[in-house]
Amino acid sequence: MDGYGGGIEANVEDFAQEALIKITSNLDSFRGESRFTTWAQKIAMNVALTELKRRRWRDVSLQDLFARREATDRGPADTQLTPERLALQNMVLQELHRMVDEELTDRQREAMVAVILEGMPISEVARRMGTNQNALYKLLHDARRKLKRQMEAAGLSPKEVLAAFDEG
Amino acid sequence: MLNRGAVVKLVRVVAETRETEIGCDECFEQLDSFAELELSGMEASGVMPLVGDHLDKCEDCRSKFEALLTALRSV
Repeated sequence: MDGYGGGIEANVEDFAQEALIKITSNLDSFRGESRFTTWAQKIAMNVALTELKRRRWRDVSLQDLFARREATDRGPADTQLTPERLALQNMVLQELHRMVDEELTDRQREAMVAVILEGMPISEVARRMGTNQNALYKLLHDARRKLKRQMEAAGLSPKEVLAAFDEG
Repeated sequence: MLNRGAVVKLVRVVAETRETEIGCDECFEQLDSFAELELSGMEASGVMPLVGDHLDKCEDCRSKFEALLTALRSV
């Protein structure tokens, strides 16, 4: 997990109490598909990690992420590129920009920028967008599928795009 | 807004997108079974491919899985 500064005081006792409450209140959902201890450990880990992520990201708002993204410049032009290669890259960039700006809903775009481009944990983005992690994953899945269809319709194969940007 | 790094990230993520993917809740529900399969030496993704696929894509769920494996291994 990338650090965003700030001291993370992981108090095992805090987590243990909440974990115990979650485990006992969810006992009827244990279906014996794994060992009880595994199931309980899973819940405990979830409690601890969710809280750790919340603390680590507490000072970062979505606005911070978007502002940072807007300020992102293209980077220096690669002078080793042929004019054709540069033109191809610019065409792809333009087309992807259009897809993201015009084909995605505002919420889909926000979620994609925050989770995929800026790397904020999906649970944290969900909280800030007033939804839950599961719903946000599905929103992102819809967005990804939309972009995939758009790229196919535009004749842009991911492999070719990545090759154009010199990536495998 | 989209620089080279962003394009690469975006296109990679789009390329790996499948029509059917389970969400975080469904993945979490099966995570204990998945972890035990993994620990037993089986390739859990082969038996539970949708969970494996979700874990490849979702950093939150992946970190929970790794933490669970670590906890189970240290017993």
